[in-house]
Amino acid sequence: MYLLVFAILVGGTDIEVNLASVQSAIPYGEYVSILLGLAALKAALIAMFYQHLKYEPKSLSTWVLVGLVIASLLMSLSFIQLHVGH
Amino acid sequence: MAVSNTQIVFDNLYGIFTDLAVIVGLIVFALMVYLIIRYRDKRSSQDPEDTPRLGRIPLGRGHGRNVLTTVTLSTILLAVLIFTSFAAVDVLFPASEPPATWCYGIPAYNQTQAAGQSCPRLEASGHQFYWTFNYPVPLAKPHPEVGIFRVPVNSTVVLDVTSTDVFHDFGIIEFKIKTDAIPGRTNTIWFVPYHNGTYTIQCFELCGTGHYYMTASLKVMPVADFLSWYHNATVTK
Amino acid sequence: MSDEIVPARARRWLFTTNHKEVGVLYLVTSLFFFIAAGLLALTFRTQLSVPNNNLLSPDLYNQFVTVHGLLMIFWVLSPFAFGFANYILPLQIGARDLAFPRLNAMSYWFYLFSGVAMIMSFFFGSAPDLGWTLYSPQTSVQYTPSIGLNIGAAALILIVVSITMSSVNFLVTMFKMRAPGMKLRHMPVFPWAILITIFMMLYAFPSFLAAVLLLYVDRAFGTFYFSSIQGGALLWDNVFWFFGHPEVYIVLFPALGLIADVIPTFARRPLYGSKYIIGSMIAAAVISFIVWGHHMFVTGIGVTSTKLYTVTTIAVSLPFDVMVIAMIETLVKARVKLKAASLFALGAVALFVIGGITGVYLASVALDHALRGTYFVVAHFHYIMVGGSIMGLIAGLYYWFPKITGRMYNENLARIHFGMSFVGFNILYFPQFLLLDMPRRIATYSASTGWGPLNFLSTVGGFIFGGAQLLLFLNLFLSQRHGSPSGPNPWDAWTLEWSLPSPPPPHDFDTVPAIAEDGTYHFGNSPGYPNGSRIGNGYAHSHLEGLSPWPIVMAFAAFIFFLGLTIGQPTSPTPVSYKPFWPLIFDGAILGVISLFGYSRERFSVHEESRVESWPFREVPNVKLGIWTFLGAEVIFFGVLIGAYFFVRTNSPTWPAVGTLFTIRNGFAMTLILLTSSLTAIMALVSAKIGSRNGLIASLLGTFGLGIAFLYVKAGEWIELGSSGVFSVANGLPATSYFITTGTHGVHVFAGMCMTVYLLVNTLKGRYLKGDYHAIEHFGLYWHFVDIVWVFLFPLFYLI
Repeated sequence: MYLLVFAILVGGTDIEVNLASVQSAIPYGEYVSILLGLAALKAALIAMFYQHLKYEPKSLSTWVLVGLVIASLLMSLSFIQLHVGH
Repeated sequence: MAVSNTQIVFDNLYGIFTDLAVIVGLIVFALMVYLIIRYRDKRSSQDPEDTPRLGRIPLGRGHGRNVLTTVTLSTILLAVLIFTSFAAVDVLFPASEPPATWCYGIPAYNQTQAAGQSCPRLEASGHQFYWTFNYPVPLAKPHPEVGIFRVPVNSTVVLDVTSTDVFHDFGIIEFKIKTDAIPGRTNTIWFVPYHNGTYTIQCFELCGTGHYYMTASLKVMPVADFLSWYHNATVTK
Repeated sequence: MSDEIVPARARRWLFTTNHKEVGVLYLVTSLFFFIAAGLLALTFRTQLSVPNNNLLSPDLYNQFVTVHGLLMIFWVLSPFAFGFANYILPLQIGARDLAFPRLNAMSYWFYLFSGVAMIMSFFFGSAPDLGWTLYSPQTSVQYTPSIGLNIGAAALILIVVSITMSSVNFLVTMFKMRAPGMKLRHMPVFPWAILITIFMMLYAFPSFLAAVLLLYVDRAFGTFYFSSIQGGALLWDNVFWFFGHPEVYIVLFPALGLIADVIPTFARRPLYGSKYIIGSMIAAAVISFIVWGHHMFVTGIGVTSTKLYTVTTIAVSLPFDVMVIAMIETLVKARVKLKAASLFALGAVALFVIGGITGVYLASVALDHALRGTYFVVAHFHYIMVGGSIMGLIAGLYYWFPKITGRMYNENLARIHFGMSFVGFNILYFPQFLLLDMPRRIATYSASTGWGPLNFLSTVGGFIFGGAQLLLFLNLFLSQRHGSPSGPNPWDAWTLEWSLPSPPPPHDFDTVPAIAEDGTYHFGNSPGYPNGSRIGNGYAHSHLEGLSPWPIVMAFAAFIFFLGLTIGQPTSPTPVSYKPFWPLIFDGAILGVISLFGYSRERFSVHEESRVESWPFREVPNVKLGIWTFLGAEVIFFGVLIGAYFFVRTNSPTWPAVGTLFTIRNGFAMTLILLTSSLTAIMALVSAKIGSRNGLIASLLGTFGLGIAFLYVKAGEWIELGSSGVFSVANGLPATSYFITTGTHGVHVFAGMCMTVYLLVNTLKGRYLKGDYHAIEHFGLYWHFVDIVWVFLFPLFYLI
């Protein structure tokens, strides 16, 4: 099971690197989004399986998830605010 | 005495806020004092019925209804404050920058303006620990004035503010307007002075040991006087 | 009690881990800092009392103002509140101590040493002197070469560590150690306020830590985060105030919670709308994270942003409205007793109302354009922080003094104290509203401004207010020795702490109470209420055995380590760089390692109650909850670092293209290495669970080896990049952000590897194989987190 996750993680990294080599062919915004999306996916896999979140009591995983959501909202808010102003 | 348009905006808004603040404050304090006096402990007092006792978690008390009333009233009041603030901001920072009504004009300038180009910018720069003011000059290099900012009366003055070293803040005290002076950035403010005279500019962000004397003078002059100063000070140099 | 063994005084106070004693330490220490910061204030108030004064040089003035602010906010307000939280909160929720008592003691000692460092900064060049807000770029090495600011930064880092440890501790305690039946909704408001404060601390302080760390790195290593045009002023402004605004609520909420519990006690009626008060506090805490732009109204962020922040900031006053009205309504049909505690509590509410109303003024961006940086702002926040917070905390002092010392204070002296404080406070601060034209933080001013008379009046008020506090200290000091015995419940109050003797015995509760469905407390085994747990006599002395030297030693080690990093004199005038003071650094590191070993090998057990109220984390063990909480703070910390990278990158007109700077292959290799190490880490856990010694050793060695490989590749890359001459740290922002962000990550990897070594050593001794695998699991949680951070860093630096 862990090996399967490992394989997916390595594969994902491989995709990222290959994407970088064809980076000129894709619009930059999409490129960054795909990369970040892949990173988020890998992070989720590590958290769920290696850190065992999938199997922990709901209370703990909710705790972590809510925290992450709030944290990302705050980060995005700051980022947006920095760009609305001139 | 109204010294500038920005000062009028501030005074009006501040007046609204203060009227409401005093009303709310008086109501709250009066209520507090009344309740404390009315229900103060006297020798004959007894504990009310629902006094919690050690050994039991107190029961909840209070109606959601009262909370709702408080929230509604407060929201209305705060909404008033928000909307008046927005109106004021829209005056101070309109969607498009107001044109400087007076382009430091000498005939050469008016030619430039007529050709469709915008008016050269007036700039204030913060340094440790003084202010310089760059007046645009059509043919020569910009001529910085140190510590004295001259403007013609009843004209729209548009000012870019920046800093050459650290984080300062440019404030015209009597005009109730200020903006941060940040190295690498330019912030724009504008105002219309209504009365000739000398006003105070000061730095409002702690910038070092000399912060306390980082002042400058704003001299509002009659148009003719300003013209002759400008002509002498800049064009002939 | 007569057969108690009381350790010698010094040993007891230096090595205690008992929450009550740590609480007293916090209270007394914070009062010392209060006096120190207050004296600083009186000095500069005197300087300002007349125009053109030269009592204080401008240089000293700036230092006094700055250190006054820093001390009050970090070393007085929160520690004072947490002194109460330490002492009283466990009693209020029916716990015998905090979840991690040694960690608690360590928090205190970190706090004390960090305060020492801050005061030391006065004697090394000049103390920080740019306001507690430390704006950039004036804090850069170019404009502030003195090492005092470096030491100040070290002090701030140490206190953030202290606070983070406390947050984790209190969070786990409040969720996992409540007495049976003490549901969250049964808790008094004070514990709720602390809980909400802790959440805010957890999310806000990592941002501050990142900011101070980056400032230190800028100064010590010549990076450009805050001194560059692309980063610079606004980066600090955002990162600082993102923390700064929640921080001012952090220092306020405990006092509000305290007031909400004191008023009902002296009104003899339950608190009106307690659930709305708590709900409002939560709402205010959440909203507090989206208002920080109101500190940046005139920085030029654009009208859309400023309007948005006006709305959120004005909106945050709504929950406070509800709280104040509910507290006032508590007085209806009550029986109001005006003792010292209630006088201060009610006075605090009144002053808080003024502070809150004037906050709404400042929330309006149009008004802020005139009021920014003036004494109107100073008056506003002092009404809240002194009028609301300090007065509220003093109410707590009078309220709980009998419980803590067992004696009553002198009521009349206390009432005079209140009168003088209240009047003096208003004379001190109300004139400052009228000084709304006067800039802040100016050492003096000319007579022609006309600011003289109001300043003079304000200073007079300052001396009245300051002098009044002498009455407080006199009262408490004398009453502690000669006051009449107070008995367990002098106020006839009803929260759990009043059921104990005054002062409580070391073990607090003889039997942990249970709360029944109808809300009644039950002590001891009664028929029908098997929830009360009965502890035998063997436990009564265990807190006296709870002495541990490692908290203070560890804190001292950190103190001298950071001092070594920051105390070095500048080596060259331009560009300024600092020589680290290696003797202290080495000593600190060695002492730190020794303490870590001592800490972990010490036989210190925390008795965990078998039956506790622990919704919602019933099935989650304490330490695991603590670690996940800590990881949450780390997420914010790295988030801010990455955010800073985004900020400087998007503000830079040019940035090296993909693949030009870094070899993608290196990054790929490092990612693979780290992913594999996560695999080995999980294999270690599996091995431990099934009891395979060889498997465990192999996986731990594997993880360690892969960690070495990672750091090896990274070091190689660093050397290659650094020696190319083009990409050194001093050469601009791509270098700065890369080295700092990956460097911080690297430090985390290194820490993880130290943990692996420790685990390996223990495995060789036969641990972890018989069902006690938890240390491996906890290490794994940390290690996988470090991996996750790299999973994001790799694309962000190497691929885009």
